[in-house]
Amino acid sequence: MERSFKHEVQSLRLGAGDIFRGEGILAVTKALLQSGVSYVGGYQGAPVSHLLDVLVDAQDIMAELGIHLETCTNEAAAAAMLGASIAYPLRGAVTWKSIVGTNVAADALSNLASPGVMGGALIILGEDYGEGASVIQERSYAYALKCTMPLLDPRPDLAAIVNAVEMGFELSEFSHAPVMLELRIRACHVTGEFAAKDNRPGRHSGLNRFAEPAPFNYARLSHPPVTFAQEKRKVEERLPAARDFIRDHKLNEYFAGDFDEIGIVVMGGLYNVLMRALLRLGLADLYGATRIPIYCLNAVYPLVPEEVREFCAGKRAVLVVEEGHPDYIESQINVELRRGDINTRIFGKGALPMAGEYTAEVMLQGLAAFLAETRPAGISVEPIVASVAAIVARRRAAAESIGALPPRPPNFCTGCPERPVFSAIKLMERELGPTHISTDIGCHSFATFAPFNLGNSILGYGMSLASAAAVGPNSKKRPIAVMGDGGFWHNGLITGVASSLFNEGDGVLIVMQNGYASATGLQYVPSSEGHRDGGVTGVDIERTLKALGVKWLRTIRSYSVATMVKTLREAMQSTAKGLKVIIADGECQLARQRRVRADDAKRLAAGQRVVRVRYGIDDAICTGDHSCIRLSGCPSLTVKPNSDPLRTDPVATVIESCVGCGLCGEVAHAAVLCPSFYRAEIVRNAGPWERAIDGLRRFVLARLGAEREAA
Amino acid sequence: MNLPLRPITILIAALGGEGGGVLANWIVAAAQRRNFPAQSTSIPGVAQRTGATTYYIEILPVDSAALGERRPILALMPGPGEVDVLLASELVEASRAAAAGFVTPDRTTLIAATSRSYLMPEKTAMADGRIDSVALVEQLHPHARHSLFLDMESLAREAGAFVNAVMLGALAGSAALPIADEDFAAAIRAEGKAAEANLRGFRAGSDAARAAVPVDLADAAKRWRKAAASLESLEAEAANLPEPARDIVVEGLRRLVDYQGLAYAARYLARLVPIAAADTDAGLNGVLLREAARHLALRMSFEDVMRVAQAKIDPARLARIRAEVAAQPGEKVRIVEYFKPGIDEVCSVLPSSLARPLLALAERRGWLGRVYWGMEIETTTILGYLRLKLLAGLRAWRPRSHRFREEQREIEAWLAAIRTAARFDGALALEIVECARLIKGYGDTHKRGTANYRAIFERIIRPALAGRTPPALAADGIASARIAALADPDGARLHAALTEIDRRVTMSAAAE
Repeated sequence: MERSFKHEVQSLRLGAGDIFRGEGILAVTKALLQSGVSYVGGYQGAPVSHLLDVLVDAQDIMAELGIHLETCTNEAAAAAMLGASIAYPLRGAVTWKSIVGTNVAADALSNLASPGVMGGALIILGEDYGEGASVIQERSYAYALKCTMPLLDPRPDLAAIVNAVEMGFELSEFSHAPVMLELRIRACHVTGEFAAKDNRPGRHSGLNRFAEPAPFNYARLSHPPVTFAQEKRKVEERLPAARDFIRDHKLNEYFAGDFDEIGIVVMGGLYNVLMRALLRLGLADLYGATRIPIYCLNAVYPLVPEEVREFCAGKRAVLVVEEGHPDYIESQINVELRRGDINTRIFGKGALPMAGEYTAEVMLQGLAAFLAETRPAGISVEPIVASVAAIVARRRAAAESIGALPPRPPNFCTGCPERPVFSAIKLMERELGPTHISTDIGCHSFATFAPFNLGNSILGYGMSLASAAAVGPNSKKRPIAVMGDGGFWHNGLITGVASSLFNEGDGVLIVMQNGYASATGLQYVPSSEGHRDGGVTGVDIERTLKALGVKWLRTIRSYSVATMVKTLREAMQSTAKGLKVIIADGECQLARQRRVRADDAKRLAAGQRVVRVRYGIDDAICTGDHSCIRLSGCPSLTVKPNSDPLRTDPVATVIESCVGCGLCGEVAHAAVLCPSFYRAEIVRNAGPWERAIDGLRRFVLARLGAEREAA
Repeated sequence: MNLPLRPITILIAALGGEGGGVLANWIVAAAQRRNFPAQSTSIPGVAQRTGATTYYIEILPVDSAALGERRPILALMPGPGEVDVLLASELVEASRAAAAGFVTPDRTTLIAATSRSYLMPEKTAMADGRIDSVALVEQLHPHARHSLFLDMESLAREAGAFVNAVMLGALAGSAALPIADEDFAAAIRAEGKAAEANLRGFRAGSDAARAAVPVDLADAAKRWRKAAASLESLEAEAANLPEPARDIVVEGLRRLVDYQGLAYAARYLARLVPIAAADTDAGLNGVLLREAARHLALRMSFEDVMRVAQAKIDPARLARIRAEVAAQPGEKVRIVEYFKPGIDEVCSVLPSSLARPLLALAERRGWLGRVYWGMEIETTTILGYLRLKLLAGLRAWRPRSHRFREEQREIEAWLAAIRTAARFDGALALEIVECARLIKGYGDTHKRGTANYRAIFERIIRPALAGRTPPALAADGIASARIAALADPDGARLHAALTEIDRRVTMSAAAE
């Protein structure tokens, strides 16, 4: 894993009377242990990658409590795991990145939600929405609605988050519905504190196993005819039960204010943004006292009609602060008010934008618009509107005075083994012309950015080959699908490879075998060399593909650009029909460097021979054309001022961060760029014989005039 | 006691992988040592690998005990106009934050690194695509209440620390927070890892911030190469030329002596004499001469096999590389060069009588651009070194080579065009001079540049010199075509630009 939580997880042992300090994700883990879970699982993805990393690092603590941890191969597997809570009184929690993970899990979720659960089942969703998000922007709320699953959205405060986790299990058990809890990106990483409780083991767990399986009970199967009864039970029993629980346990909060002819309904996750905006407008203080009444929905689904009506009744207007499209909550509130014949006017989308993140500025503008429209007595609206307009105008003026800056999107790391594959694709395209590139999810999707700008579609994780299925038969050239080993095991093997073989597809698939789910933080995948417990999985991509019947299969070292170009050319031009798979083999450089650095340090300390490789460029020979950069984009390959007074264009240079992967040299060679690159091998702790030869060489070379002290 | 009405807000703008998360933790830990409520958050995710990212911190400068049951509600994201400290590890990232409204003159202390991590478009530009750092700093100043620009990269390197420790030091030294150095230092120590190095970085940052030494950005860009040969007579002759061109001509002379010899350098000077006259006639105050002298020196020292070999065996090179790769004295360094000459390169060394038929044959057989000899030569072995030395020694033969003749012919045509143009339009002459910038490099790069140059020469310069295009239109056309030629490697923009110029020429002819 990229980040180790070995140190932090010790705080998971805190008990009653202790104050827990740390990050949101760690607090969620602590809350799970305090709730007596028997099993946990999930699939990594920002912003909840670290939740899984924490769980892996906390295995000892979990083993003491008899908790089973499953690092699932995809979200569908994680959702299906919750099946244990259908027929057994077991508490369990799973986590993944939403919306994408929830989409993958959808089938299992529906089949879970229909029969309902006996033990508390909690799904912790990393709501990847707004700044920093890396997926399509959709709301998880739709799943809560269609599956009739309660959805919690606590205030981004550690105590509130921990309470939501604990209450989530009770709500699930009380209503027999699985419960979802969404955490936005910043909430996952917010630091804070809360009063810890003791951890407690589940009633049944690895330490206290069931002696007998659950008795046969057809009513717990999501299979007709009971599915019809289950649908009724969802709305007639579970939904009212959930509402009762939310109301009786005061999951939603009410904050009184003196300007009570108006009010604000806010999703819990947006509470802090709202409060800061109100503070700025002089309508609240830093400590939570507000002039406008606020109804804070920590449970965003289901709504509690009585609470909604009670809050709105007697108010002229209410603003609903609901991020994202569509306006599920606003619509439900409008319906509830109609049913109660309450004529409070609802503002929401309109005052606030229909789509996009509700940032500090958006919130200010929304509040100003709401106040300008409603003009409540006692609030002088003009200065508020003017101050917001000034803030926005000043920001716009700043943006204008600075001017447009090119974006700085993420990129492959220095020495990444995937970069050379795209250099090779570029070179192949130079010869054979462009071809359709079907892209996937993973680090390799950075190739869609400059300097490669490669990719015609992204259809989801592990979907690249499947999404090219109808492109090939309609194109003169074979499409190329790129997939990581993470995507391969997530579902690419079945939806892509098996389907292509079954349908006799004719395309090219490149599998990036770097040994980890690197994009999400270096988690192990089935074909990783190691395993989280230190063992070996023995699962192998090449053997799997052969067993499946792939005939045209090549495994190429990913840094061998020339060989890769040749292999790609062969795959593109071969007269043989059928799927052609190239496994681009090269270990994730982040993982490799971590290992190599430690090894090298050890070897150096022990006085053993260590060779460090770095690349460099001769300024005098570099022409300043930067072709090499256009074929690589490596962070350590950059430009610097030209030392030649006659030339103004900056020259390329290799900076200190170079890890010596060799791509520069390979590209310069394969693309016939220029002879300015050199490779330097620095040998430390060379043996006596090697030193003697080197000394002799240097002596002779010095006589030949090869060396002089640097000026 | 009066409780604070609002927290102190700190926004960190950094690049993924620079340790911004650790920096945020240090700041929060230091605040907590003072018992101040503090909160940090970030948007790490994978999406930030080497990309731009931010960390946001709020600190309430009051002892938690004074708050009683009250808890501040701290924000998870900055608001425009609401940032007290902007801490940026890179200059453009500071500008990006300012453009988003996070640096305002009423409250923001801006602490920014002057170091640049170039953006992709700056690096992939075919010529110079860099954003002007001096302009960025000047632009930022009025946005902030206080601004502090530090060369954090050098401070970190000298201290043997990462940039995040220097940033923490700069924050402490700026005195923007009511937190003492000891608290920051204690936070570093408590974190444990690499504490000594981080403390060194911290001190370097805080000292620099307190000293607030203004950095000279222009300094790094002006590193002139030292004088090499003794060519007093030629240099004395150059002294007669107009002032703005003088130093360039001297550089050119030195370069050409090193490249080929004194006679060749004398030829350079002779070639400049008519240009100097044209410059005076056109009243260009030496600008034409200066630019022509610069490009002429570069064109006359065109890159060929001998030139590359000469650079690779430069006696100062080994020491330079040893320093660059940080090899300790006594450590062995092995250097491997990458060469891949093609038929073009081989022919360029041969005399024209042999090169022409060979090139024609290669062309017919389709060998050009396909047949190469890849070789890796180890300069640090005796045989490898001697191979390169032998190649470099071939420069005596150079004037008889095919490439040399071809280059001289092109140079003469270019100089003639400049002289002709200068007679009726100075701007046009300058534009023709500048076109030499397109020709550079080896292999594909050289071929592409030369093709672009020839296209501009044939389609715009020649008609203009023949009086078929108005000079102003031609000068404008050359400039835009040159920019287009450098805009993309596949020539699409140049093609479009040339077509556009043809259209304008036709229109202006029709208008007459």
